[in-house]
Amino acid sequence: MAPCVEGVWKVGPLMSDHVVMENVVLRRGLRRVFEGIDLTIPRGKVVAIMGPSGTGKTTLLRLIGGQVLPDSGSVMVNGQEIPRLTRNELFAARRHMGMLFQSGALFSDMSVFENVAFPIRVHTTLQESMIRDLVLLKLESVGLRGAAPLFPNELSGGMNRRVALARAIALDPDIIMYDEPFTGLDPIAMGVIVSLIRTLNQVYGMTSIIVSHDIAEAASIADFIYLIADGRIIASGTPQEIYAEQSPRVKQFVGGLPDGPVPFHYPAADLEEELLEPDEIGR
Amino acid sequence: MQPRTIEIVVGAFILAGILALAVLAVRVSGFNVGETTGTYSVYAKFENIGGLVVRSKVSISGVVVGRVAEITLDPRTMMALVRMEINGDVSQISTDSTAAILTEGLLGGKYVGLSLGADEEFFVDGDEFYDTQSAVVLEELIGQFLLKQF
Amino acid sequence: MVPYLRQLGQLTLRVFGTVGRAGRVWWHAVWRRPRLRNLPLVIAQIYQLGVLSVVITVLSGFSIGAVLALQGYNQLVRYGSESALGLGVALVLVMEIGPVVSALLFAGRAGSAVTAEIGLAKATEQLSSMEMMGVDPLQRIISPRLWAGFISMPILALLFSAVGIWGAALVGVGWLGVYEGAFWSVMQEGVDFVSHVLKGIVKSIVFGAVVTWIAVFEGYDAEPTSEGIAAATTRTVVYSSVSILVLDFFLTLVMFNL
Repeated sequence: MAPCVEGVWKVGPLMSDHVVMENVVLRRGLRRVFEGIDLTIPRGKVVAIMGPSGTGKTTLLRLIGGQVLPDSGSVMVNGQEIPRLTRNELFAARRHMGMLFQSGALFSDMSVFENVAFPIRVHTTLQESMIRDLVLLKLESVGLRGAAPLFPNELSGGMNRRVALARAIALDPDIIMYDEPFTGLDPIAMGVIVSLIRTLNQVYGMTSIIVSHDIAEAASIADFIYLIADGRIIASGTPQEIYAEQSPRVKQFVGGLPDGPVPFHYPAADLEEELLEPDEIGR
Repeated sequence: MQPRTIEIVVGAFILAGILALAVLAVRVSGFNVGETTGTYSVYAKFENIGGLVVRSKVSISGVVVGRVAEITLDPRTMMALVRMEINGDVSQISTDSTAAILTEGLLGGKYVGLSLGADEEFFVDGDEFYDTQSAVVLEELIGQFLLKQF
Repeated sequence: MVPYLRQLGQLTLRVFGTVGRAGRVWWHAVWRRPRLRNLPLVIAQIYQLGVLSVVITVLSGFSIGAVLALQGYNQLVRYGSESALGLGVALVLVMEIGPVVSALLFAGRAGSAVTAEIGLAKATEQLSSMEMMGVDPLQRIISPRLWAGFISMPILALLFSAVGIWGAALVGVGWLGVYEGAFWSVMQEGVDFVSHVLKGIVKSIVFGAVVTWIAVFEGYDAEPTSEGIAAATTRTVVYSSVSILVLDFFLTLVMFNL
């Protein structure tokens, strides 16, 4: 592997697949979050990972970032086996990953400028004037150069997420992960984020992984979609293929049907029986 | 707030801590920095030390000249062996002086009072008093008083 | 019988798990590669934890010193020993009340704030995002707070004791009419720097370390929800207060009786 230089965009071995997961199993206590996930994310593509809430989509991103270790299986990023890395190697590998958290996760005690400057300050020894230029350029690319002196609590949710995006790309990562980037945004802010994701992918060639349950937005920018339910991949393909999929679970999710293989009712005793025995409730 | 202001305020905070320590050292505990003359040890055996404790005062004519450093039981004589540290600048204590355990006020703590003798020789480190007076135990005093009555 | 055994087992595992995680946090934050470039962060935290606790500490110290003088005078004057007032107040403040009460105040004022702050940073994914940027939050967030608590606590305790003795002097000498010379000279006679003042400082250093450790760990280990943070903040105050009082007993036992 090429030696990694601080602050310089390292071009890894040019393999066509950026992220490869094989037979990943993850348990949380007795609950199985993943029961054998296989997926590949090609370099320079936009891949959406979709599925109902609570299926561990975010956990999948944490597996790629090495924040969660699988019980078995392999997670390869840029040809490196992430769960096997030492702490320092892992932190070095993460410099080439950007992650946009659902809440933005901006540091609330720092200004917008300082937030974007943070990764640059920590990982490089650049001059202050150089850092300033870099930060302003990154903020310009998300359209928020004017907000540099503000604090995160003075910004709207959509603007927070854009600043977080500027921070995520501050060190020019070659892979960027978006955790629910469309949740809780108004249509205008959503449109801004969608176009930013597309631009970053097309202009900088960043491999993009989007975790979302908004099928329309994700399908509009993704090259490839994985659909996860019950700890397994239940469907994969281009957006067109997913829309054309005939399996009832995929149809329920894509069509947004309230009842189907994922039942509308939480498992319960028969209604009539329960009404006749009111004492049973709350026992 | 500016980092500069914070640094100044933190500096003031640390300084305040050091000042408080200085106050506690000098004003409260009477810690004397200039006391560099050192001390020397003298010993005294007592039948009964009463309430004498380590760090009790040792005084001559009411002036504190040292402290009780150690109290042990002499295994041979089964008497209390008291080691006193006397300030180095009080060097002229003649070897026939008397060490007595006295009480400060009616209910106060015990201290060792030294009454000077007339000998030309002075105590040096490790010497021992020949003449000692044990603590007055109130119960014994009352007992003697009662015996005299009858 | 079996369900109780199981509960006991669960409790034991939980307690040991918590202690283990807390130990790991401490180990990583304090002993892994302490970095000089983090010094500005420590200074900022000394401001947050120490300087901002000065007012409450000084006010409490003054009141407690004044109260001790009032109560002590009433008792001592009966035996005609009111000249020992300064000694009594100073000993009690320097050895016990100074370190203990200032640590309790510190736990309530600074400890709870640290827990809430770190818990909130965790809930808003700030700690995760820091990790993803290749920065260890234990180094960056936890470690400066631990050091700051460690440094601030003895200073606060010293301020508390000094101001308390001053308050006692104001009440005792200025108001109740204790003879000033006796007040100070009896105090200086009876208080020893090494065996009283220094041991009090050792106590407050231990308390500072324990309170900040509990505070940062509870924040770091908090469930990342509003309820989780609220519960963690409460735990910080409760656990620190109990730890201070229990530790005080053992420290006193070890330092003053052996």
